Amino acid sequence: MTTRAVEAWTLQPLVKFAKEAEARLVLVMTSAGQVMAQHGFSRAVEVMAAAALGAAIIASTAEMAKELKQPPFAALTHQGERHGIFLAGFGTARGMLVALVVYDLDVSSVGLVQLFFEQLVAELQAACPTEGVPKQVLAADFERELSDSLNTLFGR
Amino acid sequence: MSLVNFTTREITCKIVYYGPGRSGKTTNLHYVYGRVPDARRGRMVSLATQTDRTLFFDFLPIDLGQISGFATRFQLYTVPGQVYYNATRRLVLQGADGVVFVADSQARQLDENLESLQNLQSNLLEHGVDVRTMPLAMQYNKQDLPRELILSPADLDDALNFRSVPSFAADALHGVGVFETLKGISELVLKRLAAGSTA
Repeated sequence: MTTRAVEAWTLQPLVKFAKEAEARLVLVMTSAGQVMAQHGFSRAVEVMAAAALGAAIIASTAEMAKELKQPPFAALTHQGERHGIFLAGFGTARGMLVALVVYDLDVSSVGLVQLFFEQLVAELQAACPTEGVPKQVLAADFERELSDSLNTLFGR
Repeated sequence: MSLVNFTTREITCKIVYYGPGRSGKTTNLHYVYGRVPDARRGRMVSLATQTDRTLFFDFLPIDLGQISGFATRFQLYTVPGQVYYNATRRLVLQGADGVVFVADSQARQLDENLESLQNLQSNLLEHGVDVRTMPLAMQYNKQDLPRELILSPADLDDALNFRSVPSFAADALHGVGVFETLKGISELVLKRLAAGSTA
């Protein structure tokens, strides 16, 4: 199973969580659906589809909570025939993040996922850098390369 | 908000296609999906009603490849255009790096275009974003319709393009102007990113 992190500080807690909760797929993303770390996915673009859907579910249920004048729902779970999904948001120094966990019902359970999820959140909160992301200069020929890439992509 | 990682050298940006109902937002994404090679795009996700009207959003991830050594990906979203779905429209706008406003060129749709533009401004404000700071491109779709039914790109610029942002005449159904629009907004978004990174 591959585990990959865009932000390095998310990697260790994620690897540990995926192993302990016996999760099939795990995504840690921003509330806008930008992937920060992933476990178990094979193709980057499919990861993005899962992230977009997960973030949308969290965003829409948060709005439902507002309508009900209550704090956001702590977690959402759905159980299918073979897989279950667990979805929850949590605060960090980098703002709110969302975790999406997919597990096989024959090797894990929502209880197991919930149990280790609390630990995942605590570890991510502890590991999250509090200072801003360092600014670095992108290459000067960025614009030309962008134009070339777009032309190539569309076969022009 | 875009995600730039200098360690793994990755850039991910979110672009939202906005506009009134039936202006052609989903059609833009369908065309892009059909033209981009399989290896460079993900599955197109559409959360639509039974009559194929967008309920929540359409989503298409595309991989632009390496740009200045950065693996660059765009996430293209559409919003539901129907007035009824404003709550979900606002959610999709969250974290957007750029907006394509897809206007319906039919003269009788001018009020709907204006209303949708005002709605864009108001929904961005709800997220604490001033529309004047958001990379924006205008697309005047359905320019293939008979001339007596539509407004020209110049007329639409006068009526809608208050910020003089890049604008593109289009016939999204047949792909005219779709690529140019995407290229236009991509350049605006990534230029802003490059400018921001030097701050």
